[in-house]
Amino acid sequence: MSNLNQDQIKVLEQSRQRLVQLTHSLASLIGSLNQGDPLPPWTSLQSQASIISNNLTSVSEQLSDNRDLLSTLVAYPGPDYPGRTQAPTLEQLLRTKLDPRVEDWVSRGRKVGTDAEPQPATSTAGIAADDGTRALSESELAELWAWAPLEANQEARRRNWGGNYTLEEREMGIENVVTGLRRKLEDEEEGESEEEEGEGDGEEMDVVGVRRRPGGAGLEFDIAPHQKHPVQPFVPLDLILRHMTTGRMP
Amino acid sequence: MHEQSLFASVPVHQHHELLQQLAGLTAMQPRHCLERRLIFKAFRKPGLAGRTGASQDLQQGDLQRLNKMLNGNLYYTQVIGSVSEQDFGSTAQIDQDTQMAGTDNAERDGSPSSSYDYERQSWRLEFRDIPEAGTRSAVTSRFMSSAALPRGDVVQAMNAWGYNFVTEYVVEGDMFVHNGIAIFLHRVLHYPDGGDSNLPRQQLPALKDMTLLEKSGSYVLQAFIIVQDGSNQETMKTASQHLFGLREQLKPAVLLEQADRLSLDTRAK
Repeated sequence: MSNLNQDQIKVLEQSRQRLVQLTHSLASLIGSLNQGDPLPPWTSLQSQASIISNNLTSVSEQLSDNRDLLSTLVAYPGPDYPGRTQAPTLEQLLRTKLDPRVEDWVSRGRKVGTDAEPQPATSTAGIAADDGTRALSESELAELWAWAPLEANQEARRRNWGGNYTLEEREMGIENVVTGLRRKLEDEEEGESEEEEGEGDGEEMDVVGVRRRPGGAGLEFDIAPHQKHPVQPFVPLDLILRHMTTGRMP
Repeated sequence: MHEQSLFASVPVHQHHELLQQLAGLTAMQPRHCLERRLIFKAFRKPGLAGRTGASQDLQQGDLQRLNKMLNGNLYYTQVIGSVSEQDFGSTAQIDQDTQMAGTDNAERDGSPSSSYDYERQSWRLEFRDIPEAGTRSAVTSRFMSSAALPRGDVVQAMNAWGYNFVTEYVVEGDMFVHNGIAIFLHRVLHYPDGGDSNLPRQQLPALKDMTLLEKSGSYVLQAFIIVQDGSNQETMKTASQHLFGLREQLKPAVLLEQADRLSLDTRAK
């Protein structure tokens, strides 16, 4: 065991300074988010974010450049350390394991890191809206967006709009149609639907139904929710609460 | 008073099941509620804004603090009136003479086709502040207060207090109480003819004509506790622990969460 030489102390000092800068810029962002009312303009948020990201980069460079030194360092209290009065700091310094909260952060970061790695492309991306465990990758999303409007339009043109069922479905027999609805849709050929809201609902559902059918060409995207979750709310909770608070329409 | 709450969105297909689950959990039958909610928006600063003179007795510092408190923000506030299913769909305007002659409840209840009488509608004023920011606890906590208003037309009184009528809607839902937590599973209904009127409605359309705000018919689940003394950390903590307990119990069914603070922003911009 040897004492540190000047260079090594300098390295430690540099790391400290960079960390101090990072905490400062984080604190200033948190401060401006908490106190700014209305929120600061996005340009300033963005510049703060880029400062933080620069700081993070420099910290991480510093740490990886001096990895050899930093990983071999051991902290121990000197004889003149005021252990009686500064016990908490001492304990913090002598900790070998991370704080449980920090441990959570680290594992979350690791997870995000591994998730972000490119995964082998699957032939069909059967991502149900309610699944939520895996997001579409950039290219899959782009593909979906390129595919969806054309396909939806094509599908829509083939149909004579109005009513709850399509001709095909009626020919097949409307009992066999999987609408995903627990409530029974009325067929207006059998009798005019009486409740207006029901009809409104029906139209919305039909759109989902149309999208649900596999397109003639291209990829199949499972857009419509599964049977298990027939209808997910369209309007997010936030907007409903906002409407209830201020009357603003979502 | 402080209100601590947790929210969840409940898809319509889960509604029936959840009602049964809640009835089992709370060991009570749901209490069905229908409420008219009128939204009002403050248009002028209340209090000291226009006052001159007679302020010598107040210290400069006090005055400033008071002014700041009174003129800090303008808020949206709600006027809520409970209605019943029979109130909907009544078209007959109540006759002025019979109303004058004797408006006993007995007489009103006696007629099977009871019609809605706006003049006798009871109201309460509910104010809620924007939820507190930066609290450690994962519940939505906000300052609230509630007061009864005189029956009948509230718009005049509200105007006099500096509030304009913005819009109104109806909330339909079921209420449970469990462990001091009120659990309200509800959704918003709109009037079929839109919200163009700048006065609250005198008549209510038939309930089945009301349209849903959320077209799929999903519900909002709100679990809340009202704490009388919000400055008492101990009771606030107990309240949020009760809420967390409920959240754990309901976890397999729905996930109760803190609401987005800005979506509950009652400040008028």
